[in-house]
Amino acid sequence: MDTLEDYKYTMELCNRCGQCKWVLGPKFKGYKYAEICPIYMRYGYNAYSGQGLINIAQELLEGKLTYEDGLIQLIYSCTTCGACDINCKSIRDMEVLDTILALRAKCVEDGWGPMPKHKDYAQLVSESHNIYGKPHGNRLQWVPKDIQLSEDSDTAYFTGCTTAYLFPDIALNTIKILKAADIDFKVLTDEYCCGALLWRTGQREVAKKLAEHNLEVLRVQGIRTLITSCAYCYGTFKGFYPRIAKVDFKVLHISEVVQKMLKEEKLKFNKSIKMKVTYHDPCLLGRLSEEYIPWTGKIKAFGYHDPPKKWRRGTYGVYDAPREVLRAIPDIQLIEMPRNEENSFCCGGGGGVPDAFPDLALWIARERLDEAKSTGAEAIVSCCPFCKLNLERAIKILNEEIRYYDLTDLIIRAL
Amino acid sequence: MGLPKNVYKMFEDIVGPEYISDREYILAAYRHPLPNMPQKPVSPEAIVLPGNTEEVQKIVQLCNKYKIKYIPIVSGAWFDAYPTQPGTIILDLKRMNKILEINEEDCYAVIEPGVRHGQLKTELMKRGLSYPVVCAGPACSVLTSFACFSGDHMMQWSSSRTNRYLLGAEWVLPTGEVLKVGSLGYGAGWFCPDGPGPSLRGLLKGYVGWGGRLGVVTKVAIGLDAWKCAEEIPFEGRSPSYRVRIQDCARIPGCFKTFIFKFPSLDNVRDAIIEIGKAEIGFAVLKFFYATAGLLMTESANEFWELWNSCLLQKEMALALWIYLATWSPEEMSYEERVLMDIIKETGGEPIDESLRLKWQESVDFFFLNSFVQRTARLGGGWMPLMLSADSVFHMFEAAKKIPEFLNDFIAKGLILKAPDNFQIVPMEYGHLAHIELIIFYDRNLPESQKIPIYVINKSLETQIKYGYHTHMPPGTGPGIEKLGSLYSNYHIWVTKIKKAFDPNEVSGL
Repeated sequence: MDTLEDYKYTMELCNRCGQCKWVLGPKFKGYKYAEICPIYMRYGYNAYSGQGLINIAQELLEGKLTYEDGLIQLIYSCTTCGACDINCKSIRDMEVLDTILALRAKCVEDGWGPMPKHKDYAQLVSESHNIYGKPHGNRLQWVPKDIQLSEDSDTAYFTGCTTAYLFPDIALNTIKILKAADIDFKVLTDEYCCGALLWRTGQREVAKKLAEHNLEVLRVQGIRTLITSCAYCYGTFKGFYPRIAKVDFKVLHISEVVQKMLKEEKLKFNKSIKMKVTYHDPCLLGRLSEEYIPWTGKIKAFGYHDPPKKWRRGTYGVYDAPREVLRAIPDIQLIEMPRNEENSFCCGGGGGVPDAFPDLALWIARERLDEAKSTGAEAIVSCCPFCKLNLERAIKILNEEIRYYDLTDLIIRAL
Repeated sequence: MGLPKNVYKMFEDIVGPEYISDREYILAAYRHPLPNMPQKPVSPEAIVLPGNTEEVQKIVQLCNKYKIKYIPIVSGAWFDAYPTQPGTIILDLKRMNKILEINEEDCYAVIEPGVRHGQLKTELMKRGLSYPVVCAGPACSVLTSFACFSGDHMMQWSSSRTNRYLLGAEWVLPTGEVLKVGSLGYGAGWFCPDGPGPSLRGLLKGYVGWGGRLGVVTKVAIGLDAWKCAEEIPFEGRSPSYRVRIQDCARIPGCFKTFIFKFPSLDNVRDAIIEIGKAEIGFAVLKFFYATAGLLMTESANEFWELWNSCLLQKEMALALWIYLATWSPEEMSYEERVLMDIIKETGGEPIDESLRLKWQESVDFFFLNSFVQRTARLGGGWMPLMLSADSVFHMFEAAKKIPEFLNDFIAKGLILKAPDNFQIVPMEYGHLAHIELIIFYDRNLPESQKIPIYVINKSLETQIKYGYHTHMPPGTGPGIEKLGSLYSNYHIWVTKIKKAFDPNEVSGL
């Protein structure tokens, strides 16, 4: 796997241009909603930003900076939303987020990371294969007994821990949608946690074991297409698993499946939903969802990458599918937030931040909800149980009127 | 070293504990050297984030009392933001980020230091207004560009340099007194840099600005122009493949067009500029960097190299003129276009390769937000702008002809990219003046690569002095000042005296 040493070029190349902290030039819409890094916005110091974190990474790597609790807290305050990474890569050939993730891995290797709450994930997945410590045997408790699922299909639904244990309605919606589209699929009976939070908190060895297990399950069951309803699972299969082994199956988000079915007229929305909504792009379904392609080579004179590197710049994230699905629902009015698609502002629910820093997660969610409300939308729609968890928590604590819907919920209502 | 605990506490009492830090991991993000820095900066002792002018004033007064150097910064994207001596603190002005007023009738905007170009420009575009956006990029501070540092931009043909747009200002002097400049000092509002009230624009900004070496500018008003283009940037695609929809750039359909013409010689380019100026047409006219243009048109260093190695840029854009027409009516556009075509024909110009022109046209977002400087670091981070001064159009072209005299030796030795024409000449005020800037690219993998820019700058300086050209930006202070002083009316004597008088404790800036 990649290590911090692999990102020396990135660390040396930063010239503090600020692009990791602000939306991209053509995406500026005005004074408000112009910042893109949640922690820079919250704390104001450069250290709390993509720029600062890669500066810190370099000093740690070179032994100029020593560990202390405050440093670890800073490193783990980042939601790993990757806005800095994609914005930087709009104008540079740098790997800001991979550097941050490698920095976290180094913290773990050196015995300083992750945050205590994050260590629980590792303990819990080793005991029960999910990050909530719920019985593994209950993972598929949400599956209705009266539903017929395929046993030999090469298409599978990967539920994910958060969906399976906290939001089984999303899982239920998903299989109902797949059934409505007449898709032959199975629900994986022996899936473990995808490893997302372990990966993103630097606990890569644990994440690797989970990935190896899931890859073996998929191999044994001959799965060629894996469907997820969770942005975190999706982004992990696309962004982390290729670092472990060759991924030779297709990963689809449920929004992509529905988009395709609508185009092929295998699904049709018959019911109207009169609602103004805005769509929140989950980081791991949007800008961070491109497939990771390992690259080994040399960076030669004047930045030439030999052999040429295939960059993940956020260009081909899953942006259109959920929007097309929403627009296809009769009477739904979709209004965009100023920060959207590759410039989407994080909800605060990622990178283990809600567990370690709940106040920060709430602060970030409040900023996102303010932006959603500025559009005049009645509801914010997204495709990620972690976004749901954090945004719904914020709505409740802040006593907001705006509602949150998972995309699958609206799809089911419209079918 | 660190600040004495009691002094730290005094700073903390001013801004509150959340907005001061001396933790090493916080300082790390303020001492990391830029990739093209000739030497590594010294670590600041603390970072302070003041929230208003009063806090800045108190901090500066404390710095004077305890002889602590301070550097005010916003984005900190250039060398001036880095301490060179121990015992320095950074005032990060990020929190002072309000647009205080946009006066559409008197055409000015009042801003604090933390307001970024992307924010102000897009707010103004909505209102049919604009201002000179320097090429530092949308994330950089507007106030810094106007009051503290250089400030040329791509559209100054039909407007001017930022120093001429600076109006009223609020300025915390190096000693901590608050001075209100221009009409603001007379209580007459922000509209004027000169009378009524103290006219200190030349002292505050002059041509270059002090880069934080003469106190902290906490509020400025800047002059605004009419904006003939779209209310929003019309683009499609996703990062990094944004494509500007050129047909939608005009405020009135058909009233925005871009052209690039190539010429047989620099003299022809110059003559075309002079004639276009006489005709007083065009929104932006400039001879732009051709290698840098290649970086704007491509999405990775490798892609740049493919284009560069095709030699198309060198063949088509080395001696080219970029022209943007923006008008209020199709008839006016038709007139300007016909005049332009006549001039181009008379001065020997012809259209460049169409595929290259279209590629450029799609990347024209730089026209709106001027973010090209950020992309120059893509070639491994080894780059340096030099010359950076202004004089008459004729003078600038004469000076440009001498660039090979000091550059070719470095090219021959393989120390810099073979791009002797990678300079821009940006005329302003329809050709009354012109700015020149040369950008060199060097390979940071070369041994002692950090010294390459210094060698080139020194050779460039020798050439300017030899011919008496005013093409090197006069430094505010520092070691180069005596060398250039005689070329600029011995300004260095005045600069030194001003610095001494205003900053007796030598606490402001590097």
